[in-house]
Amino acid sequence: MPAPSEEAALLERIRRDEPGAFEEFVGRWQDRIYAFGLRMCGEREDALDVLQETLLAAYRSLKTLENPEALKAWVFRVAANACLMKRRKGKYEPEGELSLEELVPREAEALGPPIPDPGALPEEDVARRRLQETVRRAILELPPQYRIVLALRDLEELSTRETVEILGLEPSAVKMRLHRARLMLRKKLQDALRPATGQRP
Amino acid sequence: MKPTHDPETCRALVERLSEYLDEELPPDLCARIESHLDDCPPCRAFLESLRNTVRWLDTLPSETMPEELRRELSRRLRKLPHAD
Repeated sequence: MPAPSEEAALLERIRRDEPGAFEEFVGRWQDRIYAFGLRMCGEREDALDVLQETLLAAYRSLKTLENPEALKAWVFRVAANACLMKRRKGKYEPEGELSLEELVPREAEALGPPIPDPGALPEEDVARRRLQETVRRAILELPPQYRIVLALRDLEELSTRETVEILGLEPSAVKMRLHRARLMLRKKLQDALRPATGQRP
Repeated sequence: MKPTHDPETCRALVERLSEYLDEELPPDLCARIESHLDDCPPCRAFLESLRNTVRWLDTLPSETMPEELRRELSRRLRKLPHAD
């Protein structure tokens, strides 16, 4: 990502309507917004719509953005809202939420199979690829309000403070949703790792 | 002295483990958690499974925009009115 001073310079050029300035903004952000939209929505067409809506909003509003430091939060706020507005039921839409009781074992013996450190598996390993696919699908199966927090914190690597700013939530709510989202993913990974004969109905 | 594996203590700890991993807890609470972890293998195992879950998120391949979508985006953006 460009340094904040570069963002400030680009914003100033956009404010002055310099030819090519908005196109440069698009070039800087399009891959990141597209990837974010795809992780959130699961479909390429939806990710393209999210990207288009974000860029349109930027085209209309960037000239009035006062503080260049706020650009990243502004971009993700628009993109996050566009993702959350895509309310149509996708194939990955969850049917219900998991309760905390299901996510945290009551007894030590119910801990479930250990989750391997991905660093211990070679890049081309079949089990590694299978677990990556499990993670990708599990993200899409998270309820949207948890998925968005996980996407911002763990995939976009934004801070709790930035996520608070983007979603307009209390820090405690961001932390709670992130934890719960990770617990849900942990459970999905364990389900994938359980031997077939040991699966519960 | 509390037993090493008191379910309530373990449960309260598990609730804070993401904050612990993210280094967002105050030092005194961090120290209490570490002291409990030293004595509680199930909580250590739980922490490790959560840590590795977060590590798996880091391994996801980056999603790049297919060329046909880039072209489609350019086509849509060309329709924007030019600034005065």
